[in-house]
Amino acid sequence: MNNKPHIQSLIVEVTQRCNHACLHCYNVWQGEPAEAQSRYPRGELDSARTLRLLAKALDETDCHHVTLTGGEPLLRSDLPLLLDFLRERNVRVTLISNGRLLDEERAASLIDQGIGLFELPLLSHRREVHDRLSAAPGAWDAVLEAMANVRLHHGQVVAAFVATRLNIEHLYETIRLAYAFGARALMFNRFNPGGRGRLHLPELLPSVDQVRAALTVAEAASLEFGLPISCSIPIQPCLIDTAAFPHLGFGYCAAGTERAYYTLDPLGNVRPCNHSTTVLGNLLAEPFGEIVSPARMDGFVHAYPAVCHACELGATCQGGCKAAAQVCYGSLEEVEPFMRTGRWENLRG
Amino acid sequence: MTIHRRSFMKLLGISVASLSLTRCAPFTTTCYAPTLTPIPTRSPAGATRRERLRQYWLRFDELAQKSWEDTENQLGKELAAGHRLALDELVENGELSAAVVDLVHEAYDGAVYHVWRSNTGMTCYVGTFNYGPASASVLVEQSQVLNQVASQWTIDPATLAKAQSALEHDMSYYALSQEEVEALYSQLLEESRPEQPLPEFEELPLEPTPEAKEASRFIIDLLMGK
Repeated sequence: MNNKPHIQSLIVEVTQRCNHACLHCYNVWQGEPAEAQSRYPRGELDSARTLRLLAKALDETDCHHVTLTGGEPLLRSDLPLLLDFLRERNVRVTLISNGRLLDEERAASLIDQGIGLFELPLLSHRREVHDRLSAAPGAWDAVLEAMANVRLHHGQVVAAFVATRLNIEHLYETIRLAYAFGARALMFNRFNPGGRGRLHLPELLPSVDQVRAALTVAEAASLEFGLPISCSIPIQPCLIDTAAFPHLGFGYCAAGTERAYYTLDPLGNVRPCNHSTTVLGNLLAEPFGEIVSPARMDGFVHAYPAVCHACELGATCQGGCKAAAQVCYGSLEEVEPFMRTGRWENLRG
Repeated sequence: MTIHRRSFMKLLGISVASLSLTRCAPFTTTCYAPTLTPIPTRSPAGATRRERLRQYWLRFDELAQKSWEDTENQLGKELAAGHRLALDELVENGELSAAVVDLVHEAYDGAVYHVWRSNTGMTCYVGTFNYGPASASVLVEQSQVLNQVASQWTIDPATLAKAQSALEHDMSYYALSQEEVEALYSQLLEESRPEQPLPEFEELPLEPTPEAKEASRFIIDLLMGK
C-alpha cells in the first residue's frame, strides 16, 4: 500500500493554443474580459520541463490513465515525445482533439504510440452547423476524415456532441453519422458555459425542454444502434427525470473523489477539474498530495447552491456543474446557468 | 507484440471476470438463452484456504450489481483486501511464493476495477465504452447506414472511401467461414519461409515470466476447482 493519491484519470492540458475557436469552448483561459483583474496564467513549458512535470505527476500519484487535451494537443510538435514517455510509464492515453490535424499518417503513428481512445467532436450532420460552432470552415470535413483515419488504422473513436440551441435538434442524424463512421460511443454533453462559451450563453444554452427532448432521442438511438451514450455534464434530476432514460449513462461532479478530474495545465498548475478556474497549486513547486489535500480541496468539494441544501439529492447532485457557476457568476455556490434556466422555466410554467 | 507483465495479468483477470459474468449453462432451455447458474457468494464454514480464495473470484456478479450505486467502489476495495489476505495465507502456508501471489492479486485487482468501471455511474467526461470488437451484425448495419448517409449528405469522396475501406477490412474478417479461416492459416503456413518458421507459443515475445505463467495457471486451476 502507498499513500499516493489514487486518481483514475489525470487531465493534462498540453497546450493552450488552438486552431479552432469553438463558440462553446470551456477552456478557462478563453473569453476572459479585457478588464479582468487577474487573468488565467498563459504559456506552456518546453519539452524537457513538460516531461519532468509528467514524471512528477506520475511519481506522486497512483494514476494509470492520462487524457491529453488542450487547446488542441496536436499543435504540440513534441507530442510524440510525450507519448513515448507515457508508454514507457505504462500509462493508458486518451486524446481529446478537434481532429483537424489528424491525417492518416498522424493517426497511424499516434495509434502506434499507444493512444487507446480518440475523443473527437461531431456537432451536427450538417457541415455548416458544425463549422459555425467550431468557428472554423472545413472543420466538419476534417473531423469525418479523422474518424475514418483512426478507424482505418484500428483505433477507437468516441464522438462528442455538445448540445446547444444551434444543433440540439440534429442529435439523431448526428448519432447516425457517428455510428456510420465507426464511433464506439457517443458523449452527449449539454452545453456547459465557461471560457469563450459564456460569451455566447444566450445564443447557445438549450432549454430544459430541449434537453429532455434530446435525451428521448438519445435513448431511442442508443437502443436502435446499440451505441453507448453517456451524458457527461451533470443533469439535475429536479429538472429532468434521468431515470426515464435507462439506456443512457448519467453522472455527477466527482470532485474530491478518486474519480475527480484533476487537471494539469501547460505550466504545471493543478485545478480540481478542467472547467474550473481554481488553481490549487503548481506541481513544479509542491507535491501533488499537498496540492489536492482536503485543506485545499474542501472549499471546492463541499460548495453547492444554498437552494439545493434542502434537497435529498443535494450533496450528490451538487446543483450540477459548480465550475460553470464559478466561471459565469463568480462563485461555486451560485446556481449554474442550466439550472437557472430550468428554475425560470418551472416558475414560468 | 510485447506486453507488459502487469498488463498481461490484468488482461487475464479481466477475461476471467468477463467470462464469469456471462456464464452460460449449455443445453438448458433454448439456444441463445443464457441461463445464469446460481453461485454461492460466501464461503461455507470450514472452507479450505483455496475455497475461500475462490469465492472472491465468484463475486463479480455481486460487484457488478452493486457498482451502480457504489460510486467509490467500496465493495471492490473490500473484495480486493480480502483477496489479498486469503492469498497471504497461501504464502504463509508455503503453497505459493510471494512473487506469484503479487501477480495473482494484480489480475484480481484488474478484474475488480474492470467490473466496477463497466457498471458504475458516470462522471464528468468519462464515456461508457466497450473496447471489444464490433460484431458482424453491427458491421453490416454500419455499412448500410454509411451508404444511406453517403447518399443523403455530401461527404468528401476520399473520406467516404476510407470509411468504407475500414469497414470492409473489418467485415472481411467476420465474413470468413471456418473453412476459409483454416485455408488462410494453411496458406500462411505454406508461404512461410523455412528461415522464418512460425514461432511456438513459448517463443512469442509476450515475455510472461515463470511467475506470470504460474500465477495464470493457479487462477485457472482455482476456478476449475482443482
